[in-house]
Amino acid sequence: MKMYKSIIFLFLGMLVFTACEDALTVEPRDNRVTEAELFQDPATYRGIIAKAYAGLALGGQSGGDGNADISGIDGGFSNYLRLYWNMQELTTDEAIIAWNDGTIKDLHGHVWTDGNEFINAMFSRVNYQIAVCNEFLSLSTDAKLDEYNIPADVRADVAEYRAEARFLRAYSYYHGMDLFGKMPFTDENSDPAVLPLAKSRTELFEFIESELLAIEDDMVEARMNEYGRADKAALWMVLSKIYMNAEVYTGTSRYTDAITQLNKVISAGYNVPNVPYAYSFQADNNRNGAEDGFIWTINFDGLNTQTFGGTTYLTHAPVGGNMDPSVFGINGGWGGIRTTEQFVELFPGEENSADTRETFFTDEQTKEINDVGQFKDGFAIQKFKNVNVDGSAGSDTVGDFVDIDFPIFRISDAYLMYAEAVVRGGSGGDLTTAQGYLNQIRERAYGNTSGNITVGQIDLDYLLDERARELHWEAHRRQDLVRFGQFTTSKVWAWKGNVRTGTTTPAFRNILPIPAQELNLNPNLQPQNTGY
Amino acid sequence: MNQKLQTVLLLILLPFFAFAQSVITGTVLESNGLPALGATVSVKGTSNGTSTDFDGKYTLNNVPSDAVILFSFVGYTTQEIPLNGQTSINITLAEDPSELDTIVLIGYGSTKKANVTAAQTTVKAEDFNKGAITSPGQLISGKVAGVQVTAASGRPGDGPTIRVRPGSTLGGNQDALYVVDGVPLDQRNASLNTINPADIESFTILKDASATAIYGNRASNGVVLITTKKAKLNSELKIGYDVQFAVNQVQNYAHVLNADEFRQLVADQGRDPAVLGDANTDWQNEIYQNGTRAIHNLTVEKGYETTSIRASLGYTNENGTLLRSGYERATLGLNVRQNFLKGDLKLNFTSQLAQEELRRADEGAVGAAVVFDPTQSIFNNTGEFGGFFEYTNSTGPEGNAPRNPLGLLNSLDSQLDNKQARLNLNAAYNIRQVPGLKFTGNAGIDYNEFDEYTIRDFNSGAGARGNNRSFGEGFRRNQLLDGRFEYKRTLESLDTDMDLTLGGSFQDFTRQSTSRSSVNNELQENPIAIDDSALVTAFARASFDIKDLVVLSGSASRNGSSRFSEENRWANFYGASAALKLTNTDFVQNSGFLSQLKLRGGFGQTGQQDIDASFAYLSVFTPGQPQAAVQFGDQFVTTIRPEGSIDLKWETTDQWNAGIDLGFFDDRITGSVDGFYRETKDLLLFGPLPAGGLENGSFQNAGSTLSRGIETSISGKIIQTENMNWTLSANATVQEIEITDLAGADNSPVPVGGISGGTGNTIQEWAVGSDPTSFHVFRQVYDQDGNPLDGVYVDTNGDNIINDADRVRYKKANHDVYFGLTSNFNYKNLDFSFTFRGAAGGYNYNNVDSNSASYGSIFPTNTQTPLYVNSTVDILNTNFSQQRLQSDYYIQKADFIKLDNVSLGYNFPGDKVDIRASITGTNLLTITDYDGTDPEVFGGIDNNLFPRNRGLIFGLGFKF
Repeated sequence: MKMYKSIIFLFLGMLVFTACEDALTVEPRDNRVTEAELFQDPATYRGIIAKAYAGLALGGQSGGDGNADISGIDGGFSNYLRLYWNMQELTTDEAIIAWNDGTIKDLHGHVWTDGNEFINAMFSRVNYQIAVCNEFLSLSTDAKLDEYNIPADVRADVAEYRAEARFLRAYSYYHGMDLFGKMPFTDENSDPAVLPLAKSRTELFEFIESELLAIEDDMVEARMNEYGRADKAALWMVLSKIYMNAEVYTGTSRYTDAITQLNKVISAGYNVPNVPYAYSFQADNNRNGAEDGFIWTINFDGLNTQTFGGTTYLTHAPVGGNMDPSVFGINGGWGGIRTTEQFVELFPGEENSADTRETFFTDEQTKEINDVGQFKDGFAIQKFKNVNVDGSAGSDTVGDFVDIDFPIFRISDAYLMYAEAVVRGGSGGDLTTAQGYLNQIRERAYGNTSGNITVGQIDLDYLLDERARELHWEAHRRQDLVRFGQFTTSKVWAWKGNVRTGTTTPAFRNILPIPAQELNLNPNLQPQNTGY
Repeated sequence: MNQKLQTVLLLILLPFFAFAQSVITGTVLESNGLPALGATVSVKGTSNGTSTDFDGKYTLNNVPSDAVILFSFVGYTTQEIPLNGQTSINITLAEDPSELDTIVLIGYGSTKKANVTAAQTTVKAEDFNKGAITSPGQLISGKVAGVQVTAASGRPGDGPTIRVRPGSTLGGNQDALYVVDGVPLDQRNASLNTINPADIESFTILKDASATAIYGNRASNGVVLITTKKAKLNSELKIGYDVQFAVNQVQNYAHVLNADEFRQLVADQGRDPAVLGDANTDWQNEIYQNGTRAIHNLTVEKGYETTSIRASLGYTNENGTLLRSGYERATLGLNVRQNFLKGDLKLNFTSQLAQEELRRADEGAVGAAVVFDPTQSIFNNTGEFGGFFEYTNSTGPEGNAPRNPLGLLNSLDSQLDNKQARLNLNAAYNIRQVPGLKFTGNAGIDYNEFDEYTIRDFNSGAGARGNNRSFGEGFRRNQLLDGRFEYKRTLESLDTDMDLTLGGSFQDFTRQSTSRSSVNNELQENPIAIDDSALVTAFARASFDIKDLVVLSGSASRNGSSRFSEENRWANFYGASAALKLTNTDFVQNSGFLSQLKLRGGFGQTGQQDIDASFAYLSVFTPGQPQAAVQFGDQFVTTIRPEGSIDLKWETTDQWNAGIDLGFFDDRITGSVDGFYRETKDLLLFGPLPAGGLENGSFQNAGSTLSRGIETSISGKIIQTENMNWTLSANATVQEIEITDLAGADNSPVPVGGISGGTGNTIQEWAVGSDPTSFHVFRQVYDQDGNPLDGVYVDTNGDNIINDADRVRYKKANHDVYFGLTSNFNYKNLDFSFTFRGAAGGYNYNNVDSNSASYGSIFPTNTQTPLYVNSTVDILNTNFSQQRLQSDYYIQKADFIKLDNVSLGYNFPGDKVDIRASITGTNLLTITDYDGTDPEVFGGIDNNLFPRNRGLIFGLGFKF
């Protein structure tokens, strides 16, 4: 009797327990969805490729960089463009920042370490972008499209998206190669359970080149894609960039190949637009005529694409002191970024230059910087303005977020690279053609031909300086200085090396360190880049 | 002589041989007339004994006819009855209040205090802290060794932070598991405030893992068992009414420059005085007021033969010291006990209902009052911004200026309403067919519904830009079903009492909330947030009390958590412990001074799964919000983010405990010492992941900690007479914790401890070999006079570059020692008590100083309109040109002793009404060298906390 009861109890107990085991299988009921649910809607592919583009523009899944994609840093700071800009600009004579945000001042001071959180975040961002592209590619294989019964019209779109995903992946690998030298390598076939192996700078170069050449035919024709999406011309620009810097990356120069690609870009129908230089960096730069000179943009919108990185950062952070925020279409400056006296001196006449690309704000600002932490030390630059050409402010009435699209590549850059490749001995172009291109830039800058140059004036020094005048604060400077051998061991500017007058820094700083935390987690990346 | 001795010996021994041995039988009843199940019946001075069956009947063999029979039963007075030739003894036991003390709660059950094998402490109502207490945790602050209670802030309705031993968990929830009348609360939403402190009978804190292993799935940070008050059976109608009225004042303001000092500073620095105003405003004085708190409690209780009822009504209303802050709470507690089947089935229904209303002030005003220019007046003359003076730029309020503290307070309307219902039905059934077998089950639900809103006035400095409203509502639910069989039996042949428990528990948790907030100045529905999780446990325990000398106990639990994938879902945890009751040995009994001596030792394992990620093992996709869309052509495309997954497993803690309980001079002095050693591995913490996946960081099982400590407590009844009693109790805890492993081959340190000043700055670091609250700082260089040199740090790695590689770990926030001292004195109807509490060995980072006290902060250059910002007086010590946020100058010793409360009461006994009057002072005195407003800062980063109050409380109580 007792025995029976015990057995019954035990049995009942086990039954209850088993029932409870099922209760432990819980699925999310909020807005998160599983793959199987997701692809009920074929439009999903557009949403995921949009995420790959959003990876460049936004910090996370809600406005103002909420629900951030990467961790370890403030959501607004984690924005790809903001980080990339910091790496390419704050480390140079073009920009210096006042803030006490962690190790940000170490960038301009050339004293960064492998624990620098901005460098860490850049590394994470680049790799995150690669991972999203890989994910898109593995979710959009023919087998998956069959599995989810994706209709033919969507499949045609997906084919374009796949090319663009590969392009965006190559673009981020190019950033990784440029900044860090080597990178952990994954593609859509990588086993997530295995730590990625490293690809050296040369191997990355080979991968990027072969990948871009492989997808060239699949990309949408130049100027034929939706605004904001990459096309063949964007691809040619990335190829041009890697060829221009090939000597830095691989030790072998490829200027002729650069000219080949640049010729394709130049003949695709872009112009230095017949609108003032300033229009290119205003709220309506997607429609005020400046867009004719844009090859590829990262799009922002004050209402729909809200971030504290991107052009919001580039508009707010350089406003401070006596500057009037209403002139910039924003509710207030962040009082951070100015420029060094060395950059000021690139403009003939300095703050009174006839060159309209000179936008210095000098009221109560000093040209020299005695205290990095004081906004009023150093001239401010008034390049990005969230106002439309009719003077009205951007769409966000609160005044936080801006509408300005960021031009990743402009035709001026192609012209300048063309000239440089010619000067550096590349074939397929000539100096007279280069002179014509360069004077298109000059004529817009001066409003007339007074600033035009002769063929004889075209040399490397001129081109480096002209690149700074035309393309400053567009995230090219560090790469240019490295290519010209002037980033570390030669050329000084205020507070380079963390001293007032500037000092040269060791050559190892031409590339950034692999973050220490990454070396800790993935020994395949050992050894650390030399010097760190 | 020799002859005499032999005769005496013979006479003594004779009875053992001469008298007949017989069998006696009888029935033992409890005081309510019901059969006492499991009462012990034994022959005094022998090991001969038995226990009663479910009818209270017993049969005792081999009883000498002159024997004295002992009847003992937990909770009742032991009775001695000389046999005197009887063959049957029936008795009714009498409840013994002092005996009731000896029953203590353990996880899923109770035991005699003497048989406790683990480190645990019970605090009963009479020992609670006095005062107008709103949050239950305050009742035991400073009372228990090994339990560190960080006092609540001054925010109305705020509760203290309670830590049982140092938190071994770094990324998971460090709160103890609270079990109220058998119902484990949701660890992340314990809402202890919805329990009326006046309804609490006792707290039992289970500190070591041998005790908590039975709650293995979430006991890594200790278990706190809370028992609420119940009426006794067969008791008179009792009605009680208490009222307390408190006046609270902010204990201490931040020490900032006053208007004259600020003008002087501006002049000394050669700055333009025209930027200053003409007023003398003490902003801190303006934002605070005298707070008041009123508490009413009404209780009614009555016990019948098989039923008892206790109902209580509580009401608390508080106006906070910060303007516009407040808290209001009404509670209704009900306990009904009903016995059926002659007491074989006991039903116990408990409900706690609460309604809370929290009026939230803009606490940004606390920091704004520190830095707002004291020469500016409160009001403007224009009526703009609600009449409050604000700094502006060409487009509206200046974003880089502090906001007017009163403008902040007056422009915010924010409230949280919460309704809570905690219901539990407990059934205990003695299974007649198997004597000694009992089933106990609980069905409980803890449910709350909240709604909240925040509305900022457009006509204000903080609201002029728009996006001023948010609304939210939701619920949280926690449902429990548990059951256990307990089997108690005396194994006479082994002289051993056996106690077996086997049971299971299922609990699920749901949280759901919806909210709307204004985005682009339009109210937008935010994504619904739903979080579900569930826990299943099967547990077993066996305890043996051998010869009333050795207690052995072992437990095992099998635990499943929905937070882990099926492969890693289940984990087993074990506990084993022993106690040696030397009290029962001749050595102690005859020592003359020792009255109690018990040695305890144990080992246990527990798990942790309570992390803020319920589906980490699933790959999911999260759609983007409309404001995070991407522009393709003219279209804004909503993004879909693929997310990575990670296979987590249980974090486990192994803990060893050894303890000794002592009593001297008939327990006039009692004390305990416990030592513990604890290792936690597979720590669930958020950390970086290697590149290659969709997440660069996630919760992961990475790292280990080791903690150890010694806890001592001593209590002395210094005076113990009929009219006068004085008890002094003290406890002290020494403990330490260090990280022994982190992720990756190099155990890369993890920056933690965000601070104000800049964005994203941290001041602490997790690193192997260090306390998890270790500060990570630059070493400041000082001049000959001991003044810090502006921006000069030690090049600790000697590379001639000062950068983040020169930051070192220095000091820590965790205290090495904390202690409490309580005195309870009464003389006739007068009682007087006080509690001191203190801690030593920990440091704070003074973020108020580091953020405000630099000329760069005082004279900003990033505002369109020139303005100055006030600072703490520390600027006069440092003269720092810029914020030196990571200087170790700001790491300051935070040792303290606080006089938490002093209470004086008098009882006026009456024929029909007993009246008690009392006066209590709280937080009366702080002894510290710390420069900031208050040394007691949980986590060690002192940054404009809602200041704590000093209170004076008048109380009146009536008992009818």
